[in-house]
This record gives sequence, C-alpha cells and structure tokens, in this order.
Amino acid sequence: MLLPRFEYYQPSDLGEACQVLAELGDSAAILAGGTDLLVNLKTRKASPEHLVALSGLDQLKEINNGGGSLRLGSGVTAGILADGPDTLSSLTALIQGAASLGSPQIRNRATVGGNLCSARSAADLIPPLLVLGAKLVLASSKGEREVDLNDFLLSGARTILAPGELLTAIKLKAPAAGSGSAFIKLGQRRAMEIARVNAATSIALAGDGKTIQSARVALGAVAPRAILSQKAAQLLKGQTASEELFAQAGQAAVEDASPRTCHEFKCEVVSVLTRRCLMQSWQQARGQAS
Amino acid sequence: MSKHQITLMVNGLERELLVEPNRTLTQVLREDLRLTGTKHGCGIGDCGCCTVLMDGQAVNSCLLLAFEAVGHEITTIEGLADGNRLHPLQDSFIELGAIQCGFCSPGMILSSKALLANNPSPTEEEIRMGLSGNLCRCTGYQKIVEAVHDAAQKMKGASS
Repeated sequence: MLLPRFEYYQPSDLGEACQVLAELGDSAAILAGGTDLLVNLKTRKASPEHLVALSGLDQLKEINNGGGSLRLGSGVTAGILADGPDTLSSLTALIQGAASLGSPQIRNRATVGGNLCSARSAADLIPPLLVLGAKLVLASSKGEREVDLNDFLLSGARTILAPGELLTAIKLKAPAAGSGSAFIKLGQRRAMEIARVNAATSIALAGDGKTIQSARVALGAVAPRAILSQKAAQLLKGQTASEELFAQAGQAAVEDASPRTCHEFKCEVVSVLTRRCLMQSWQQARGQAS
Repeated sequence: MSKHQITLMVNGLERELLVEPNRTLTQVLREDLRLTGTKHGCGIGDCGCCTVLMDGQAVNSCLLLAFEAVGHEITTIEGLADGNRLHPLQDSFIELGAIQCGFCSPGMILSSKALLANNPSPTEEEIRMGLSGNLCRCTGYQKIVEAVHDAAQKMKGASS
C-alpha cells in the first residue's frame, strides 16, 4: 500500500509549528506517531496536501511533575506511559489503558496526543484521562487555550480542535491520598485489538476511608464518542463503598450507554466492566488511605 | 513533491539518500538500500513483518516515513549477525524449528531482541505479549516462544 503525495514540514519549535499550521490551515494534517494517520493516508481516508511533523518538537515529549500537578507533553508515547514511570505511578487507569493499546511496535510510536485527537470512540487513553479529569492545552498562532477533555471530544471521531490548532499538553491533578483508578478493555484478543467496550473509573474516598467523596465512570465504544456516565457518578457520590453499590453503579452506567451494535451484549459488558473497575479502584484507594 | 537528501543510520552505517517525503522506511530499506530482509506485509501496522529497531525499540517501518527515521539508529535483520556468527536469537530460531516459511522471522527476531534487551528473563506470557504485534501465518507460535526462551538462556550464559 502506497502513500499519496504530500509535502512534508518538520518545524523545530512550537512557534514555527503554529505559524506553519496557521498558513496551511485545512490543507495540513498533523503527524505525531503516525500509527493512525499513515493508515488513513494509505487507505485514502485522509488526503491532506501537507503533513506537519511534530518530531522536531522535543518539548512535546516531556513529562513534568510539580506542585501537585502533572503535565504530559502530547508527544509522550503510549510505550512510555505503559512502562509506568515513577512520576505517573498514581495514574493507574492511564498506565493500564496505555499498556492495552495496540502492540509493542504501535505503543513505541503512538502518542497520547494522537490518541486524543483521533478521538475514536474506542480509544484506549480517553476513558482513563476522562476519569482522571484531564485538561488539554491547545496552542495556535493566536495563543493558548485550556479545555476539559470532556468538552474537547465531539461525536464521530471529531474534536473542537480548530484548523491551525495543536494539542501540546495534557494537565492532570496528582490524585490525592485515598483515591484510586482502573481501566479494563474487552476485545476479541488480548493484544493488537480495538476495544469492543472499554471502561475506566476513579474513586476518591473521604477521610473515614469508606465514604465515596467523588467517583467517575467513563465508557468507550458504546456511544458516538467516549462518555462520562453522570448517572453512575451521581449514584456513587456520598455512599458507602461496597461491591453491591458498584453493581448498582454498573447498572446505572448502562443507562448512559447507547451502543449502535450488539446492544444487549455491550450493555451487559458495560455493567460488568464498570463494577470490576470500581472494585479495583476501591482496593487501590483503600490501600493508599491506610 | 520533490526529493530531499537525507542521511539514515542503518546497521551502524551512514547512508545518504535522495527520498520523496511519502516513502516509508520499509520502502527505502528494501528498494533503495536493497535490505530485503525487512518484509512488506499488510502495510498498516497489523502484521509486524516490517518490524525494525529504532534506537533499540521495535517499530513498524511501514508506518514510519523515512524522513522520520533521520537522526535515529535503525537496526534491520541484516545488522544482527556478527560477520558469519549468527545472533543467539537467530541460532535458536533455526535450532528449534521456529522458522517455517520465514516471512515473519525477521520481524519476530527483532521484536524478540527488543524484548530481551528490556527483560532478559521473560516468562512465557511476557514473550507472547512481546510478540503480540507479529503475526505468523504458518501458525508456528509455540516454537517461536520456545526459541526466544532458549536464546534468553544462551544470552544470560554468555553475559555472566
């Protein structure tokens, strides 16, 4: 399979990248790891005249940790996340999501920014980042803006990213003591697979170590975009954690899911994955609290 | 779309090439450098036949523009043997019959090399996950897993 013709740019700093993107507008596609884009080019699903490669922007590969917050460059690869470096060890759901993405070869190239901007409903890094409350930094020649990941995603693998705009970083609050998160993916095989359903949850326990101060449940591949289940989050808030409660939350999550295919099967899976993720999140939260 | 001059570092040698931006590393390795050990399989990152090492990490060269390989060290299957002395992984693949048609072997061996560099004593499960991006359509996975295990033992013996 051959690639179509295009012109290639490799800006050496962010300012230059924003300028090039502003000039090229709609005619340019951004090349990060290329594991989605090159497939789309080869299969003629995308046909940009220009590719703007981010490989020259070293700052996008940085992970910064300080003052209770984490800043992940958009060019950090899934492979680096999956290795679970010390700075990210509290972000269990994100590490699990990254480890389940593609194959070793894909993980070594695929970037967190690419996964978010491709914005597929089954993307493995989106549910983890939704439950971890990620904020995205978007840069363009006009300046920077910051948006919640939940507001960034649109239906049908689209985002609010404007032509000429670039996702540069993902900002996360370091989870407090007494909190935990988890991610589970169901596919037909255990590797190199697009999720049939995936789910992530996070739980923050109150000082008593039992009451759920807040919880989030995110689901992938059961709606036109990855979603946060408000019904599950509301049901969990303020309640005493238990396996029974988590089973109820699983049922509540099903109400927010609207899978287009295999409705009955996927709804059952949503309920089970939500319950299992919540159990894992809870165990981790308790472990940290004690 | 014009050709640009680039320099690739392949198997320890600097290679100067005139390349169009839409050519993948697989194409440039096979067609320009005649390193046909790297195979062109599915072309979309599913089969792993085109696997090469970039700075020691396994990557699908079919999903990598040759331009994006500039400044990195590329290792192909041709770069593994030391003269006429095969790499322990190559020896083990032959000795244990882990090669049938041979089409997946370069990718399998390079993925195994990346795996063993990070994890010198992998479990069977870790070997299978390490090779999860490489397909063998002769379905000889069992012998491949055994060969990687065998090579790991040899390599540990050699380094201690």
